[in-house]
Amino acid sequence: MSRTDAVTRILFESFSAAEVRLFYLLGYGAIAVFCYGVYVQIRKYRRGAALRLEGGVWARFGAMLRSVLSHRTIARRDAAAGGAHRLIFYGFVLLFAGTATITLEYDILEPLFGIRFWHGGFYLIFSLILDLAGVALIAGLLFMMYRRGWLRLPKLDYARPDRVPGDPDFDRPQYRREDWAFLWILLIIGATGFVLEGARLVWLQGRPEVWDTRWWSPIGALLAQGMRAMGLTEQGGAVLRHGLWWFHGLIALLLIALIPFTKVKHIFTAAASLMVRDPLAAQRLPRVPESQVEAGAAKITDFNWKQLLNLDACTKCGRCHEACPARAVGAPLSPRDVILSLREFAHATLESGVVPAAAELDIHGKGPGQVAMETLWSCRTCMACVEICPVAVEHVPIIVQMRRKLVEDGAMDPLLTKTLQTIHKTGNSFGESKRKRGAWSKALPFPVKDARKEPVDVLWFVGDYASFDPRNQKVSQVFASLLQEAGVDFGILYDGESNAGNDVRRVGEEGLYEVLATANVNAMSSASFKSVVTTDPHSFNTIRNEYPDFGGKFEIEHYTTLAKRLFTEGRLKVTNPLKYRVTFHDPCHLGRFNKGYDAPRDLLALLGCELVEMGRCKANSFCCGAGGGRIWVPDPVGAEKPAQNRMKEAASIAGLEVYVVSCPKDLTMFEDALKTTGNEGKFVVKELIELIREAVPARRTDEVAA
Amino acid sequence: MKILVAVKQVAALDEDFEMRDDGRDVEPDFLLRDLNEWDDFSLEEAVKIKEAPPAPAPAPAPVEVVVVSVGADEVDESLRKCLAKGADRALRVWDAAIEGSDSIAIARVLAAVAKREAPDMLFAGVQSSDQSFASTGIATAAFLGWPHAAVVSNLSYAPGAKSAVFRRELEGGLLHEVEIQCPAVLTIQLGINTPRYASLRSIKQAAAKPIEVLSLADLGLGSADVGEAGSLSRVRRMYVPDKGRAQLIAGDVAQQAARLAEIIKEFKGAAA
Repeated sequence: MSRTDAVTRILFESFSAAEVRLFYLLGYGAIAVFCYGVYVQIRKYRRGAALRLEGGVWARFGAMLRSVLSHRTIARRDAAAGGAHRLIFYGFVLLFAGTATITLEYDILEPLFGIRFWHGGFYLIFSLILDLAGVALIAGLLFMMYRRGWLRLPKLDYARPDRVPGDPDFDRPQYRREDWAFLWILLIIGATGFVLEGARLVWLQGRPEVWDTRWWSPIGALLAQGMRAMGLTEQGGAVLRHGLWWFHGLIALLLIALIPFTKVKHIFTAAASLMVRDPLAAQRLPRVPESQVEAGAAKITDFNWKQLLNLDACTKCGRCHEACPARAVGAPLSPRDVILSLREFAHATLESGVVPAAAELDIHGKGPGQVAMETLWSCRTCMACVEICPVAVEHVPIIVQMRRKLVEDGAMDPLLTKTLQTIHKTGNSFGESKRKRGAWSKALPFPVKDARKEPVDVLWFVGDYASFDPRNQKVSQVFASLLQEAGVDFGILYDGESNAGNDVRRVGEEGLYEVLATANVNAMSSASFKSVVTTDPHSFNTIRNEYPDFGGKFEIEHYTTLAKRLFTEGRLKVTNPLKYRVTFHDPCHLGRFNKGYDAPRDLLALLGCELVEMGRCKANSFCCGAGGGRIWVPDPVGAEKPAQNRMKEAASIAGLEVYVVSCPKDLTMFEDALKTTGNEGKFVVKELIELIREAVPARRTDEVAA
Repeated sequence: MKILVAVKQVAALDEDFEMRDDGRDVEPDFLLRDLNEWDDFSLEEAVKIKEAPPAPAPAPAPVEVVVVSVGADEVDESLRKCLAKGADRALRVWDAAIEGSDSIAIARVLAAVAKREAPDMLFAGVQSSDQSFASTGIATAAFLGWPHAAVVSNLSYAPGAKSAVFRRELEGGLLHEVEIQCPAVLTIQLGINTPRYASLRSIKQAAAKPIEVLSLADLGLGSADVGEAGSLSRVRRMYVPDKGRAQLIAGDVAQQAARLAEIIKEFKGAAA
């Protein structure tokens, strides 16, 4: 046997048989505690409601693996944290794989089959790789410590906007202690591993196959040199190695045992959560089955197992906290804290042997772990939290399901009650007569076809704001003229159309949503058309993603894609290029919800505008504050509104001329915010449709007629 | 222990409307129907009493809230809303002969229902938003010979108690606090409470609760007791009054005076 062949990993050398037995005993003990913890967690999830997932397991597994291995979701909008986590993750995985390979050989392959591979060149390369993995782990951990200790990132501050100082769960110092303990434990495991390696080298310096190959574990070799220089003898090395071996081993076993009971469990829960991710979580809210008596989530067990798993997947990274428009303006809501509250609640109630009585499972209220109605009503269902969550926590369906319970109880703002009653009575949120829905089209010089009476190519679903709001009616008239001039054969449903229900559903009034969706699906199904267009991203979302659940499968597009096509097909021509310096606000329901980022930007380029992006754009667009039914509830007096926050961001763009929107509710919200933030006269808010009109001047009437 | 709540489905005008051929009402197709706003408050008051935590021993009997309305089957929609908001039972009285009843005839019917149900309290709204007679509730009390009070804006009443104390707002910011013997008829004013929201889901589920339909015979009444025969008043016609017109006369004083004289002559001529 050559010298390099002889080299192998030193395991229990110099240990007494009793010591080895003790180690195995502790090892099995740690694994037993781990298994018990896993059992308790799985039992907790199984106490949630049933849920059948769509899609195959392997496709889900593959998607999860891609997210985990690429760290794509973790690195988004925080490259430094993503990079550090990548170092820790790969360091940890390699070191774990290394240890597991040793177990594979020592405890399974060798005793059973006499197979040995853990020596020679294989060992040396692995030794090098594991040393590098250890460096990566420690480097990542040190950066994370720096980040927590010195950067003082607001998103890592656990103080809650929905509690006040003095409340028992205001800033949860136990979370901070746990974070630090986790970092320190991993750091100590990594550091003692290296010192242990160095001590072993000092101890075995007399064996040439060990000593001559020492630079294959460079960190250990460096430490060994240092220890020797400080006068550590072979015997001293042996003692140090023996002691550190136990220290290192016990802490590692402790970590394994603690996984299911601490934040370390995110290793499993985050991966599992990514695996059960619903890409349409916020876009397509869950239906309430006919058989279900209670409409929403009243008790913790009303959540399904996946939602309970979501709660445990949260790593408190604070990205949702940072992205939330309600939180940004000081509303008592942080999506992170909704999740953490419910997690604490589930932990307190569902981890013991018996499930407590229903009364103790009530998640609504102001007690520890409960969520207050003010918190739930602050949400604008803008999906910023769901979109940025690196571990696929789906906050919006959780919040809406809790709101469904509030709606059942009538626990909501009286104005919202009034609006819902109005929508039920008249089919629109303006309380206008149904018959007046198409009245905006009377001002046009041409009749707009009634799609209920004659076939059309394109059915235009107008929506409430574009139908009834006087400012938006003007935009509707312009859009109708553009369609007419481009020769599009289009029509509307007149009083056959009702409020699309997108926001009614997000309020949590599921029964009313069912009525509205069914009415619209019936009205649309009885008309003859090829495709649907809408200027309203809210209607667009629900018709596209939610109506199929109600039997309405329609091909629908937002006007921005249709308009772009009309330009590329030459049916609309820019004859008056605009030289404006503009910025574009991505509507939540067009951008984040439906990934319609490009068409509006392409249109602006076609029109000749110079687009300057705001810091928060595309997927990170900042909600105007109108979503989730909040347009029907006034914001608190005195506090900043999300739209005002956004206006200030836009106002910081030098030389901005037009703030471009492509959503009727945005037009309403931002024209208001423009005035209230004192930016009136500095720049204007315009619908993209209005800019198109400017760039494509109306043809003379005789031309239109011809 | 029972509270009877008399409710009405009122009509509101849609954007455009036409009059009925006989000119005494609006063509029904042009009306939007909903529960009378006042009745939301009187129902809420009854349900609140029902839901109040029970007083300590002796344990009182549970409270039953029964809603009653007089009308054809389209009224069921409003009754279902009442059931969704917490009423236990709903009664609807109808007979073709009831058509054309005034508030007194309706009160006669309601009084017959009250005799049958024997409630401890009868609530009605102060008035209906479409007819505004403000007399049905009080007339019912007269038929029953029960104590009554109108425009109640605050009520304290323990289920099963022999009397109730209520407050009414008087002119000049005065409050009137009154004790009344039960059973009594109270007409309830807007703002006495915050009516709850009936979710569409709860309305749908309320469809399972019964709506009992009563005929005149069930109540021991005949067709002479209702309709125009049983009424003390009769609608002669309903119409939109001609709108007045105004115009600004331009010119100097002499021109204005001349034009004014002209208009007066025209007007006299037209009237003649």
